[in-house]
Amino acid sequence: MQTRWDIGEPEAPTINSETEQLKSELLTLNMGPQHPATHGVLRIEIWTDSEIVAHAIPHLGYLHRCMEKHAENLDYRGIIPFVDRLDYLAAMNMEWTYAMTVEKMLGTEVPRRAELLRIITGELQRIASHLMAFGTYALDLGAFTPFLYAFEEREKILRLFEEVSGSRLLYNYIWIGGVWNDWTNEQIERASQFCDTMEEEAKKYHELVSTNKIFIERTANVGVMSLQDCFDYGASGPVLRGSGFKWDLRKNIPYSLYSEFDFDVPVGTGEVGQVGDCWNRYIVRMKEVVESIKIIRQAIAKLEPGPVMGKVPKIIKLPKGEVYVRAECPRGELAFHLVSEEGGKKPYRLKVKSPCFTHVSMLPHIAPGQMIADFVASVGSIDIVLGEVDR
Amino acid sequence: MLNKIAELINKNVSGANAVVNVATDAKCDSSITVEASKILPVVSFLRGNTEMPFNSLHVISGVDYVDYMEVCYMMTHYDLTDPREFILKVKVTDRVNPKLDSIVQVYAAANFQEREVYDMFGITFTNHPDHRRILCPDDWEGFPLRKDYVTQKMYNGMEVYPDSKMNFEDREYIVRQNMIKQAQKASASTESEG
Repeated sequence: MQTRWDIGEPEAPTINSETEQLKSELLTLNMGPQHPATHGVLRIEIWTDSEIVAHAIPHLGYLHRCMEKHAENLDYRGIIPFVDRLDYLAAMNMEWTYAMTVEKMLGTEVPRRAELLRIITGELQRIASHLMAFGTYALDLGAFTPFLYAFEEREKILRLFEEVSGSRLLYNYIWIGGVWNDWTNEQIERASQFCDTMEEEAKKYHELVSTNKIFIERTANVGVMSLQDCFDYGASGPVLRGSGFKWDLRKNIPYSLYSEFDFDVPVGTGEVGQVGDCWNRYIVRMKEVVESIKIIRQAIAKLEPGPVMGKVPKIIKLPKGEVYVRAECPRGELAFHLVSEEGGKKPYRLKVKSPCFTHVSMLPHIAPGQMIADFVASVGSIDIVLGEVDR
Repeated sequence: MLNKIAELINKNVSGANAVVNVATDAKCDSSITVEASKILPVVSFLRGNTEMPFNSLHVISGVDYVDYMEVCYMMTHYDLTDPREFILKVKVTDRVNPKLDSIVQVYAAANFQEREVYDMFGITFTNHPDHRRILCPDDWEGFPLRKDYVTQKMYNGMEVYPDSKMNFEDREYIVRQNMIKQAQKASASTESEG
């Protein structure tokens, strides 16, 4: 078997003539698996020349739970809790995508109210996830206060989800054919109140972080991913949009009821720094929060009483064949490749296309030549969740 | 759309032998199968052509059908006016020493994805720049997602699935509950018949 040394000794990068003289032997540093800047248990082996990263090698698998193998031994409903645990910060979107995959093969009609409730929960979850990204990113760069602001608002969403689904993080709420439980009018009212406060809060965040001089110095022109790189590596979500490409599955290939909604797709425009850098990826997320609020308000206005569960057979048996279903999740495009056998009660194969896995593979490409502190900023800006990377 | 792509491949890559697999059920997705030995020219043609380019590779997924293994390349085209995607497949029949050409030089995304396919199915990708396991430990034995996979008994001196840590009581409880349910069902059916 080949080893990792086969990739050849990386050359120390030349920044200018001064560093050329200082060039010395490369030092190997392990960032992680227990490192606050890696957002979980990611280990990155960094080869440094003084403080400049020459080469970064991500080592994955510390959180590998064989989800795809487990799925082959579970019935279609039983997989939902496992899917929750992929991206534990956006569990609603994970469930939703999985439910869509099975529904496509089953041919189930989802009632209109259930679709709208899915959109409301999905977008609230997107806000919660982006708030987490915002808070921890500022934390990575040494600012503690934004983290507390973000958690205050995120807590409101989690409280609401707890009332609706029974748990705070891993919900098992969106089921095949609809949603588990209906929302009461009081809960819908609270969601709409949350939208009002969140809109004001978002402005506060921009004052606090987005336009902050130190934050801009740390993130602008750092970790630039060109649009060509994004296509090469198959990037999606805020990373692709941060590089200036106006691509959102909700808009370009609408699923669910998204074609009825009026919202904008924010992209990185390079107001500060250049397109595709950390600041642009960050600002795309913050602008998306505002767009999500718009969608939730429209969805609430469209809500009408009705059933929340479609007609699904007691034992789900799928036809022979395969489907590949994509959906826009907070971190990028999540997709499931489901292969089923004739009359099978369990999937023959369930492959998860995880957006973060793809984005981690971009790190070795952008790392060479960066300072270690800038590399931390780059890792934070792609907003990884290791549960989804390692599956 | 698939027919057109298959036609284009057959016209431009000799020996690719592209065949459209039409899904038997209308709700499922169709795909295109090409010769395993021609995957690299086919993929570079798909990326480079002007008529119907595919500028991105989404994911590589393997499926083990026991008689043969299949590697599915999810091709995508990010385009604002004309987005498209399809599943490109190759069949690998050799289970002992399966080999495929690496497509990292065409799509950089294939780097991690091919490593995952190797990790889970044991398919070797020739000319891969960094060919090793990605999710399992480097010294793990066997390829977990193959259908004939057997978990190793010992790993680095540690017992895998040790008896002391297995929850046999719960398992027995579930088995007993199922037996009771079946007995009830059987008695109910005999009563209704009687």
